[in-house]
Amino acid sequence: MTSTSTTTSTSATRQGGLSNGQGARAAASATPRRARLFDGRGALASAVLYAALILATVLSLLPAFWVMVSSFKTAAQINTGEGFWPAPVTFQGYIDAFTQIHLQEYIVNSLLYAIGGTMGALVVAFLAAYPLARFDFLGKGFLNVTFALALAVPLVGLATPVFFIVRELGLFDSKIGLVVLYAALQFPFTFVVLRSFLQSIPPELEEAAIMDGAGYFTILSRVVLPLSRPAIATVSVVAFVQIWNEFFFANLLTVSSENHNVQLALAAFKSQFGFNITGALAGATIVMLVPIILFLVLQRQVIEGLTAGAVKS
Amino acid sequence: MRFSAFVSIVPAAVLFGTFFAIPLVVLIATSFTSWSGRSLEIVGVENYQRMITDPVFMKALGNTLFYLAIGVFVQVPLGVGVGMVLALKPRGWKAFRTLLFIPFVISGAAYALIFSMFYNSRSGLLNSLLAPLGISGRDWLFDSETARWAVAGTFAFILGFVMIVIMAEIASIPRELYEAARVDGASELQQQLLITLPLLRNAIGTCVLIRVLADIGMFDLVFILTSGGPDDSTVSLALYAYRAYLQGDWGYANAIGTVIIGLGAILIVLVRRLFRIGDR
Repeated sequence: MTSTSTTTSTSATRQGGLSNGQGARAAASATPRRARLFDGRGALASAVLYAALILATVLSLLPAFWVMVSSFKTAAQINTGEGFWPAPVTFQGYIDAFTQIHLQEYIVNSLLYAIGGTMGALVVAFLAAYPLARFDFLGKGFLNVTFALALAVPLVGLATPVFFIVRELGLFDSKIGLVVLYAALQFPFTFVVLRSFLQSIPPELEEAAIMDGAGYFTILSRVVLPLSRPAIATVSVVAFVQIWNEFFFANLLTVSSENHNVQLALAAFKSQFGFNITGALAGATIVMLVPIILFLVLQRQVIEGLTAGAVKS
Repeated sequence: MRFSAFVSIVPAAVLFGTFFAIPLVVLIATSFTSWSGRSLEIVGVENYQRMITDPVFMKALGNTLFYLAIGVFVQVPLGVGVGMVLALKPRGWKAFRTLLFIPFVISGAAYALIFSMFYNSRSGLLNSLLAPLGISGRDWLFDSETARWAVAGTFAFILGFVMIVIMAEIASIPRELYEAARVDGASELQQQLLITLPLLRNAIGTCVLIRVLADIGMFDLVFILTSGGPDDSTVSLALYAYRAYLQGDWGYANAIGTVIIGLGAILIVLVRRLFRIGDR
């Protein structure tokens, strides 16, 4: 194991060369670098590190995992707290989540907010990111900096003015109001990532399209948009999960339960524990599983999106 | 062409203006007023003076800085450690990366629900895990001695974000550096501490920045778990501003909001200086 990994890594290094960090990075991901620490020589050190990794994983996952497991318990077992595993196993909570708590209504709302808000942010950010990445004009630098600065604002601080504006616009306690707000909240992140992506694609294709007489919006939709698909995929997943998980503004801007999202429903479960705890835990598990499954399926996009956003902001 | 480009920026400018720029101006301007949404009266710096003598505000400020400190001095170092270990690609590193990242995509509201179960004095897992160790159970969230720590315990071990930022940064370090160090006889530990860690300065700084931004506005967990109690021992600035908003005390709410954003800005500048973010 040692010898193979060392040889491949050396040859990869030679191919990449000192100045070519990109090549080295690609090579590194192709041939995982397994440190000496982990190939048998430092058995004690590696045992300690594995113990630490396992401890960290348990500390960060155990409570959530326990609640998910508990969603298959009877109310009686949950309330006594006896035993880690469900005995007997029941699916009553999952039935109650839909028949009594009506989780499906909140799921539909959250899907509307997450899809609508993501689409809105994407369209607006894409339209703005293209000219701000490509052309030079007065105020370009100002707009780029201003839009990006919004990422440095803890949004909860703006609660009252946002409530006031939303109410004045007649959008308080309405579905469309939350969709618009979420599009606005996701705009800065989406913009920053899309703009830096657009800067990285060569302008030759667009120039060729201009020569063919294509107009601005034709170029945007036929040439630039298809090229931007990977970046759009990454920001979409991140925006979707963030809106799905959003609580603060949903709580601030809606009152009727018909406009509530899944997170508000979860918060309400807490006060309803006495009334249907199995249903509450099953509901919580379903709500948690949506972003978890999205992440497991689209792991690469999520990680790329988040690291891109972190580095660029 | 120019006109079209201009047109395509308009929606962004409108959205940004409506939900970021105008609210920010309104926030700061009305923090010098007594405002209930309808009647408005200019009161100068009265709201800010009131904070200094308001014991609950001081608690909220202290708690917020406490949460922030947990984020910066517990969550970030643990995440960096885990990221550095996993970047060495030990057997099973992908599984660890996936598992450790999962808590990061779980919402604050779900976390609040999970931990209100976990800390429950009667049926919670924590007390039943501590019992065999001879540690007597408590009502962690409703004991003013432990509540703040219990809230911190909910998010201190969410390591996924820091972990992936660190792993991405390590992947971009040229491997020649390690080859050279190895030739010079540097041990694996020395390589980590003397090569990797210094090169992570920017990435660690970025993680600290993001923690500062998130924790300065701590709301969901505290609001759902404890509503700020017991005896305001867990209340955060954002939650205290929200209470003022609910009472129609909008001028005071906005002064607190201004403090949140202002303090955030100061800390961001400080962290950027400290980690020399930007100049590589």
